[in-house]
Amino acid sequence: MEADAVKSVDLRKVYHGKEMVEALKGVSIDVNKGELFTLLGPNGAGKTTFLRIISTQLLPSGGDAMVLGHSVVREAEEVREHIAVVPQDVATYNNFTPWEYAYYFARLRGMASSEAKHKAEQALRAVDLCGLRNRTCQTLSGGEKRRAIIASVLSSDADVLMLDEPTSGLDAVARRGVWSALRELVRSGKTILLTTHMMEEAEMVSDRLAIVNKGTVVACGRPDEIKGLVKERFRVVISGDFKQLSSFAEVAKLGDRSIVYLKTQDEAIDLLKATLKMNLRAETSPVTLEDVFVKLVGGLNNHENQ
Amino acid sequence: MRISKIVEDTLIIAWIKSYPNFRRNPLLLLVLAMVSAIPLFFMLMFSSGGNVIVHGLIGAMVSTVSFAGVLSGIQDIADDRYVKIREMIVAMPVHPASYALGIALAPLVLSIPTLIFFGAIMAYLGFLTLETFVLLVPALIIVWAAMSTMGFMISTYLWKSSMIMLNNLSNVLGIAFIFIPPVYFSEAQLGSLSWISVIIPTSNVAGLIRSYMGLLPLSIDAIVVRWAVLVMTTIAFIVLTSMKSKWREN
Repeated sequence: MEADAVKSVDLRKVYHGKEMVEALKGVSIDVNKGELFTLLGPNGAGKTTFLRIISTQLLPSGGDAMVLGHSVVREAEEVREHIAVVPQDVATYNNFTPWEYAYYFARLRGMASSEAKHKAEQALRAVDLCGLRNRTCQTLSGGEKRRAIIASVLSSDADVLMLDEPTSGLDAVARRGVWSALRELVRSGKTILLTTHMMEEAEMVSDRLAIVNKGTVVACGRPDEIKGLVKERFRVVISGDFKQLSSFAEVAKLGDRSIVYLKTQDEAIDLLKATLKMNLRAETSPVTLEDVFVKLVGGLNNHENQ
Repeated sequence: MRISKIVEDTLIIAWIKSYPNFRRNPLLLLVLAMVSAIPLFFMLMFSSGGNVIVHGLIGAMVSTVSFAGVLSGIQDIADDRYVKIREMIVAMPVHPASYALGIALAPLVLSIPTLIFFGAIMAYLGFLTLETFVLLVPALIIVWAAMSTMGFMISTYLWKSSMIMLNNLSNVLGIAFIFIPPVYFSEAQLGSLSWISVIIPTSNVAGLIRSYMGLLPLSIDAIVVRWAVLVMTTIAFIVLTSMKSKWREN
């Protein structure tokens, strides 16, 4: 990995409507060439706004961002030569085939017909849709439709691909199909900027990620680095009424279940033994990205607050 | 951006927006033809001979291209809420003019079989000759341009409106511009109010075509004024659209 594919500096966006909304409050992010970088955040965090600014669809209110050295504010045309975008919640044209998506979008990039055909073939192979290339989108499953749209950005041969929640609404199998295609692309040298609110997705596919909340970057780094931002390394999930919860500092209550966060594996095993003695069901595991995310964005229900 | 790239992209976008529908949903062509042909059918049923069929065929041709024009912008706004092709294309090296022209051309491409059908009947009846054909084509193009720019203007100013509102609006516009003014019937029937037909692009063009075919006596001056009004209307819609529309949001 080398140099920045995307670099935003103090990027700000204010929407002036009936009420003023500050969607981005000075976001500074560096995305390296050849990595899959994820913006992870709750709904309304500012992820889509960031992606729309970086992809030259929306002007920022302040700050700037560079894509492969070109300013998205002043050099939008140059930026557009290097990027391809899949918007959020995008549907397919029912009468289109995956091959038409891949081929015509390549043609719009200025490719000659023969080159566009070649790129379309490659793109369909990358998303495993060769067998369905001539089926209309209305006959495809949700995951296949999404992969057809992804094929349209792949055939463009753009250096930086931007995908806004590409797997939202897909089942687990379809999601993995998309993830597999994305990781193949990264392996082939593409840079991918992805947004998601799904922790598993962020953890599974990202080389690095930034947690965004209320228009600011809360944390940035590799998934393991992000998980290292909290002191607790293990968690014990207890089902039932565990009386000694108050003796633990970090506890999240989820109805009749409790998640206790602990610093060491020994502490986790001791707690597990204690709960088993009380005939309660419990299990332990390392903390997940979701645990860290919830803590960083301030959503943890500490028992002291209840 | 090179002119050749702008033209090529325009054609590709028009193709994307028309050919797959044409190939896989050919009934769409019948629907398009019927929208314009139904008034003609009733005219034949309830009128008594004369040149009614030719007046009706002129109306059907003007109606076909006008619907294509006014629907393109409005339909695109509605469609794009789901397929988001525009969002994808904004982030590509494609000129905004290519996109606008492409989506305006697409329904016109779909209208060509209908126009050929009506034109063939007119030719069979002896009203469409090579000379009138040469005059007819630019007249249909200008009304398509005027109605397309009007559709874009409306969709630009109402881009946040609901789908239901946009669909209703396109139907109301169809009635207001195609079925009420003298498009299917001669403006001579309006008597002293016939001047109204000049200010409405659809009836203006229908009048021009009637004069080319010898169905409406118009002086050269009147023809020039009609063309000037059409061109100015189109330019006014373009200016109003460009004042409001933004390829890139801010």
